[in-house]
Amino acid sequence: MNIIKRLTSLFTVIFGVLLLTFLLIHLVPGDPVDVMLGESANMADREALRADLGLDQPLVNQFGSYLAKLMYGDLGQSIHTQTPIIDLIKVRYPATVKLALLSLLIGIAIGVPLGIFAALKAGHWQDFVVTIVSVRLSAMPAFWLGPVLMLIFAVWLGWLPVSGMDSGTSIILPAVTLGFGLSAILTRMTRTSLLEVLNDDYIRTARAKGLSEQTVILRHALRAALLPIITIVGLQMGSLLAGTVITETIFSWDGVGRLLVESIEKRDYPVTQACVLIIALSYVLVNLATDFLYRIADPRMRYA
Amino acid sequence: MKYLRFLLIIYFLQLSACDFASKDTNRDASVHQSTPIHFALSQAPLSLDPRVATDAASERVIRLIYQPLVDFDQNFKPTPKLADWQMVSATEYLVSLKSPRPLFHNQQPLNAEDVKATYDAILQLANSPLSAEYANIQKITVHDAEHLTFYLKQPDPYFAAKLIIGIMPKQLLEQQHDFARYPIGNGPLAFVKKNNKLVLRRVADGQIITLSEVKDPTVRVLKLLRGETDLLQGELPAELVKYLQTKPEVTVKTSPGANYSYLGLNMQDPMLSSLKVRQAIAHAIDRQALIDKVMVNHTRIAGAILPPEHYAGNHSLKAYDYNPQLAKRLLTEAGLSLPVKLIYKTSTDAQRVRIATILQAQMRPAGIELEIRSLDWGTFFEDVKQGNFQLFGLTWVGIKTPEIYTNVFASNHFPPNGFNRGRFSDATLDSLLEKEDWQAATDRIHEQLPYIPLWYEGQFAVSNKKITNYSPKPDGNWDDLATIRKYAH
Repeated sequence: MNIIKRLTSLFTVIFGVLLLTFLLIHLVPGDPVDVMLGESANMADREALRADLGLDQPLVNQFGSYLAKLMYGDLGQSIHTQTPIIDLIKVRYPATVKLALLSLLIGIAIGVPLGIFAALKAGHWQDFVVTIVSVRLSAMPAFWLGPVLMLIFAVWLGWLPVSGMDSGTSIILPAVTLGFGLSAILTRMTRTSLLEVLNDDYIRTARAKGLSEQTVILRHALRAALLPIITIVGLQMGSLLAGTVITETIFSWDGVGRLLVESIEKRDYPVTQACVLIIALSYVLVNLATDFLYRIADPRMRYA
Repeated sequence: MKYLRFLLIIYFLQLSACDFASKDTNRDASVHQSTPIHFALSQAPLSLDPRVATDAASERVIRLIYQPLVDFDQNFKPTPKLADWQMVSATEYLVSLKSPRPLFHNQQPLNAEDVKATYDAILQLANSPLSAEYANIQKITVHDAEHLTFYLKQPDPYFAAKLIIGIMPKQLLEQQHDFARYPIGNGPLAFVKKNNKLVLRRVADGQIITLSEVKDPTVRVLKLLRGETDLLQGELPAELVKYLQTKPEVTVKTSPGANYSYLGLNMQDPMLSSLKVRQAIAHAIDRQALIDKVMVNHTRIAGAILPPEHYAGNHSLKAYDYNPQLAKRLLTEAGLSLPVKLIYKTSTDAQRVRIATILQAQMRPAGIELEIRSLDWGTFFEDVKQGNFQLFGLTWVGIKTPEIYTNVFASNHFPPNGFNRGRFSDATLDSLLEKEDWQAATDRIHEQLPYIPLWYEGQFAVSNKKITNYSPKPDGNWDDLATIRKYAH
């Protein structure tokens, strides 16, 4: 029953997103025919191309025909390059997933240990330093942090490439740029969650039983503090999979976020719709995965 | 244990970075003449098909992959490239292909049938933005392998200047070959592949040249300093160019440009239809200060769309000086109460927004409150075409023939029949344009101010010291990629 409810909600969200995107991109000024033919084209050529692209049909028909194709997994063709959109997505989406996963890994690797450390040293100077660092990191926008990292690690130290996707190490700087911001959020969240449970009775009991501090923190306290952290990780993973436009642009990383922006600039409606669909699906699936992780982390939810 | 795993991952990432660094050092040590030349662009070419490309990057690459019948000399006069031409009558042009001609990159010879097939394809292609421009062609007759005649519906004295489309092989056109992605021409550079970068091979010596898109100007500069790219051209803010001029490891070359920047005005706006208001705006801009502060070397104040060195250029146009007091007086004489509020539309490009902000500050003492609206390109350009603006800022790029004045200012060239986006209508000017008296026409335009002229932006190219034989051109083309050299140090 729960699965049916979930799937219904999934399809409702996807349909809503598709409808909204379709309406919005048709409301925005600009016409793909103008972009393709330029201003000097005569009306006959314009109308012919508009008919060829199906843009002369009423919006309801256009949307209906789009949904019908979608049912068969056909995302359509790019208006500009005449390339099947699925081919574009096949190239761009894995790049975004790769970047998102590594960023998440870096964010967790830095953020969770730092948060635990700050919670254990709450009120001491170490906590103060971690707080300052995490606030600073979260305040650094990607368009600033990215070039700074490039300057240090690529130009001065010569360790990494500035941008592009030419080598295996090209992913490190964009992932670190995204991961730093995420780690700052996770540090704050881990610290706060852990502080809340550290004063609970069961932690006192665990300590009274003579368990080592490491066992108390990692096995008992951290597990209880994990739910809000999972929520944040899920939300951040969703937005990372949506494509981080600025980071992808700065680092010339050919991901789905960059494809989305390019398609909007060119008024390439089918590509825009496909990108939004993929992003919406990613969000919904990540949310499902988050719910699943809740159940693992908190046995009470399995019986709720 | 979990911490240890995380630390190990970070450690291995660092190791891999060091590994990359050592490989890179080795690569630098073995640089030789056949090393690829990397060119970073702000915008990658959208299409490599001469029939559909309209963006500047595509046009510049297409000039190198294909060859046209006609090109332009330093004074923008049409000059033979693949062919000579003869105007047999006002509606008849005989074209004679020169010999010898380079083969197409698929080793097939180029002949008159290919020329006819190329121009026919433009007229037949549904989504060609050029079909309107060539709609005047009635028919093309091939006489032999080297001679053909273009018959026109209407007389066109500038038709030779329109024979600039890159010639494509007839056989492949008939097979509906995908030229947009796999171009085959007979230009100096041949297509190799395109993934996240465009790879070209120079026909003469096999030199590989890559063109990759790097949107952010700061990143382009960092890539040049890191050695990941060898060459940049244009589209950097002046402060980055000035910074690069202080770096001994790079060479910055500048040259005068011919691309015309201006403010467009809406003549249907009640305020802007007054000549005094337009003159006030012209006197409210300190062009020289703007050029000195935010433009690159060799940027010069403009008078008309075509620069003075153009064969239809006008040397006598005197720039409107910066005089806020005079501007105020003109606005008052126009019956307006100060400050006058105007809306200026521009794109989101950082340099454009910066210029808008400076214009806003310069106009304030002249009694003009400029409200800046920075819009995404699609919305901005749509507004401009629809006449939904008071003022906007744009640049005409790569203009070669004086016909532009008719397209832009004649009263029968309102969109969609032309580029008269400000809906300017002046019987005197129409008559001068009809007579093709370009000197008098540009005088009249300068006096009536349907556009407020700003400048011809200087061109520049920045390269590392390994690069020679490359200089920026007035219209910003990349023709020197046909001769550029990269040497080991």
